[in-house]
Amino acid sequence: METELPIRKIIHVDMDAFYASVEQLDDPSLVGKAIAVGGGGTRGVVSAASYEARKFGVRSAMSGALAKKLCPELIFVRTNFERYREISAKIRKIFFEYTDLVEPLSLDEAYLDVTENKKGNPSATLIATEIRQKIKERTGLNASAGISINKFIAKVASDINKPNGQKTVPPEEVLDFLEQLDIKKFYGVGKVMKEKMYRHGIYTGADLKKKSFEYLQENFGKSGSYYYNIVRGIHNSTVKPERTRKSLAAERTFSENISSEIFMLEKLENIAEEVAKRLKKSKVAGRTITLKIKYRDFTLQTRSKTLPLYIASKELILDNVKDLLLQDEMKDSVRLLGISMSNLNNEKGKKKEEIPEKTIDVQLKLEF
Amino acid sequence: MKFIVSSSYLLKQLQVLGGIINNNNTLPILDNFLFDLDGNSLTVSASDLETTVSSTLDVESNESGSVCIPARLLLDTLKTFPEQPLTFTVEENSTVEISSNHGKYALAYAPGEEFPSAVELKDPSETKVQGDILATAISKTIFASGNDDLRPVMSGVFFQFSTEGLTFVATDAHKLVKYSREDVSASQTAEFIMPKKPLTLLKNILAGSEEEVTIEYNDSNAKFSFDNTTMICRLIDGKYPNYEAVIPKENPNKLSIDRNQFLNSVRRVSIFSNKTTHQIRLKIAGAELNISAEDIDYSNKAEERLTCDYQGDDMQIGFNSRFLTEMLNNLTSDDVSLEMSLPNRAGILTPVDGLDEGERVTMLVMPVMLNN
Repeated sequence: METELPIRKIIHVDMDAFYASVEQLDDPSLVGKAIAVGGGGTRGVVSAASYEARKFGVRSAMSGALAKKLCPELIFVRTNFERYREISAKIRKIFFEYTDLVEPLSLDEAYLDVTENKKGNPSATLIATEIRQKIKERTGLNASAGISINKFIAKVASDINKPNGQKTVPPEEVLDFLEQLDIKKFYGVGKVMKEKMYRHGIYTGADLKKKSFEYLQENFGKSGSYYYNIVRGIHNSTVKPERTRKSLAAERTFSENISSEIFMLEKLENIAEEVAKRLKKSKVAGRTITLKIKYRDFTLQTRSKTLPLYIASKELILDNVKDLLLQDEMKDSVRLLGISMSNLNNEKGKKKEEIPEKTIDVQLKLEF
Repeated sequence: MKFIVSSSYLLKQLQVLGGIINNNNTLPILDNFLFDLDGNSLTVSASDLETTVSSTLDVESNESGSVCIPARLLLDTLKTFPEQPLTFTVEENSTVEISSNHGKYALAYAPGEEFPSAVELKDPSETKVQGDILATAISKTIFASGNDDLRPVMSGVFFQFSTEGLTFVATDAHKLVKYSREDVSASQTAEFIMPKKPLTLLKNILAGSEEEVTIEYNDSNAKFSFDNTTMICRLIDGKYPNYEAVIPKENPNKLSIDRNQFLNSVRRVSIFSNKTTHQIRLKIAGAELNISAEDIDYSNKAEERLTCDYQGDDMQIGFNSRFLTEMLNNLTSDDVSLEMSLPNRAGILTPVDGLDEGERVTMLVMPVMLNN
């Protein structure tokens, strides 16, 4: 049975080693060198690595210490998000010359729906080439692109000819492309899922396709139907300009593990301040507050509670997170603490009827 | 080492010093008074490591030496004596023997060297203030200071000295008191944050005292000397919040009212307020102030009307009645003025009368946001 595919023209644009490339652009002495953005200090984590560094096996999210071991010549550069944001805005401006349907995933990645575009260009492949050219001209950076009928395939495709390349998967090739695709390349399949898939004898898209809907649901739960559809080229998620935030968080890894709750409270104060700042910036408030605790042995624990009203101020966040911290004893010394706010009041209209906001009189504070 | 001293004279001094001793000390030596004898002069000290207080007493002796004597035991004993001379003798067997008209009492002592010595202030600045003024400044402000361990600077009182005058500020972010004296000044500008505990002690000792207090201070410590007493304490480290920035400048709505009447109404009405928020509502229109409270959980409700002098727009504003009561209670004037702008901005409470020349009190209280 052939499924009729909803045909959209989606481009996934992904900057090549974005942070590292920006740094190399700003400091020509770094060109051609193995550099890592972030990851300095004893416990830093690499945010991005240049292609030169990647040859040595340096990857993002790797600890700085390990990266240095893999690549002794590695140069650590401090992150400069202001600058990345500036360049990211420039790139987004280029996207908007083609379509308003732009869904940014992060500073260096976005989906574009160019089914109908401002240039009237019927070829998404040519648009992608143009966009990459313009990015190179205006920022001096390389981008890769994937072009296909849905977000999922576009995303997978952008990785294929990376760096500085693009890959189109036209509608007629979609099913073959997916069948040949290594299972670990499927978006959403990480280390754990890969192992699980392997245990079920699924190594490629074709293997996945052979499994029945019931089988997948039984073994993979909710995501079973996602995998069932995706391998048949069905992924109906539209490009959503302006994604509404679902949650907002901040966290800190400490330079030394801490075991005293007093010190933790001190750290949480800074984190709460950051969260409050971000909430303020996004003009939202949240009702569910979650405390994330990573212990010395990297085990993760979260504690959360939902409040009767939306909060956004540092004091209220801190009060509630204090309760969460003290509600139970710490199992071990702690290497990371984080606060996340979810259940945000930006979901227009949807939540309003469900839970009438309880009115509580709030004692105001002097703003020092 | 041996000296003779009057029992009530000694008790009076020790009771003051005892205020600084913690109930449960991690360092057992701090449970003692340090007796340091030098001929006719006996210096007794108590410390909690943060603060050390010493008093010098005249005694009858021609010896010298120093010992640490258990504070609790000594105080309990002294309290029971009628006025009489007591003889303290340090015996060879590590005990101090006190002989009274009634009998003999032996207390174990520790050598004086074990007592932690107070810090010496390096290159201090100096200001002199009359004891009574200092005591007033403390009692006007200290109640407004906070208890939040996370913001230690706000747990103390901020001393701001300049050539124009002295200013004392305390706040817990809900309320704020600024007490200033223009009739006293310092030779140079200085700012430091004093912890609450030594201030409470100073307030009690100095209330009503005409004695001049010498305040010496540097970046980390302050020393208060008066009479025969000195107090050296560690300052709270950190930067005090910029309180001037939160005092609203434009307050078009001004209420003047009899302080006692206002206080009594607030007290009565607040009995009916919610037990956790203590919230009361002020409705002001024309020359009438309507104070009301409601505890919806129990259907309790109260409302009072007062005549007042009011200039401004009709308005409604909510306050925590506890804050208002504390502040009104702390003032001594006949009339007070409450200046407001909006229901979500701070109200400014000031006394209308009863102040000394050059004395100023400004109290700020943040409202409770009312959800109608």
